[in-house]
Amino acid sequence: MHPFDLKTAMLARHAQHVVLIHFPIALFTAAVAFDYLAEWRKDQTLAAVAYFNLLLATVFTVPVVATGLVAWQLALEGQKLKGILLMHLVLGCISSVLIWFVFWIHSRVRRHPEESLPKYRLPIEAVAALLVGLTGHLGGFLSGVNGPG
Amino acid sequence: MNSKKATWILGIAAIVVAGFILMAGTKGSQAASAQDNAPKTVEIKIDNFSFGPMTLKVAAGTTVTWINNDDVPHTVVSDNTKTFKSKALDTGDKFSYTFTKPGKYPYFCSVHPKMMAEILVQ
Repeated sequence: MHPFDLKTAMLARHAQHVVLIHFPIALFTAAVAFDYLAEWRKDQTLAAVAYFNLLLATVFTVPVVATGLVAWQLALEGQKLKGILLMHLVLGCISSVLIWFVFWIHSRVRRHPEESLPKYRLPIEAVAALLVGLTGHLGGFLSGVNGPG
Repeated sequence: MNSKKATWILGIAAIVVAGFILMAGTKGSQAASAQDNAPKTVEIKIDNFSFGPMTLKVAAGTTVTWINNDDVPHTVVSDNTKTFKSKALDTGDKFSYTFTKPGKYPYFCSVHPKMMAEILVQ
């Protein structure tokens, strides 16, 4: 298999999900870190950095969820999931919804500059980051990233 | 008893005994033949993200059973995705397929496409 074989890369039945997932994980984790920093330092620049990281993380959840569902349909023919696969699917969906919710909170405030970001977003972001980490851990376990070869 | 009658009786007795011996022999060979033709089962272990053995030679009519000993789910799917295809096998789950036709049957795990192996049916 050639590393730059586009056909192989595009037609791989679940590789896209495994590749794309790294983007929202990194972007959301960075967004949460910057948002906490912005809250602590009362720094609008850091808040803006957090917002744009969050925006990109939210955008990336769409292809990630889509390719995950496609992988389920293609690799497992949509069979009823159980065990780690089911847990990964459920946690992935909850994580995505939480990311979208956090983004909605930020974007709403951004549209109304007279309002300030609610404090309750911080624990939600923490829980979302935790779930993203857990989902990623299960995904890594499933993909065999620690396996041989 | 005259000698002619005795010869007849001995002849019939010999035929009966020969018949019994022949039947016993046939039954024995039938049993042996049945034993030879008994369906064989061979097991392939899925462990540490690999199929073991990776290449397996079997006779036509052999049933191959895959057992997942890994902590993660795997599948067993023929390369053409038509000949045989298992569901996701959790730890301890098994999948069996009987190979009736000689040939080469490459297969893989659809969850981990790097896991590949083959069955050679003779």
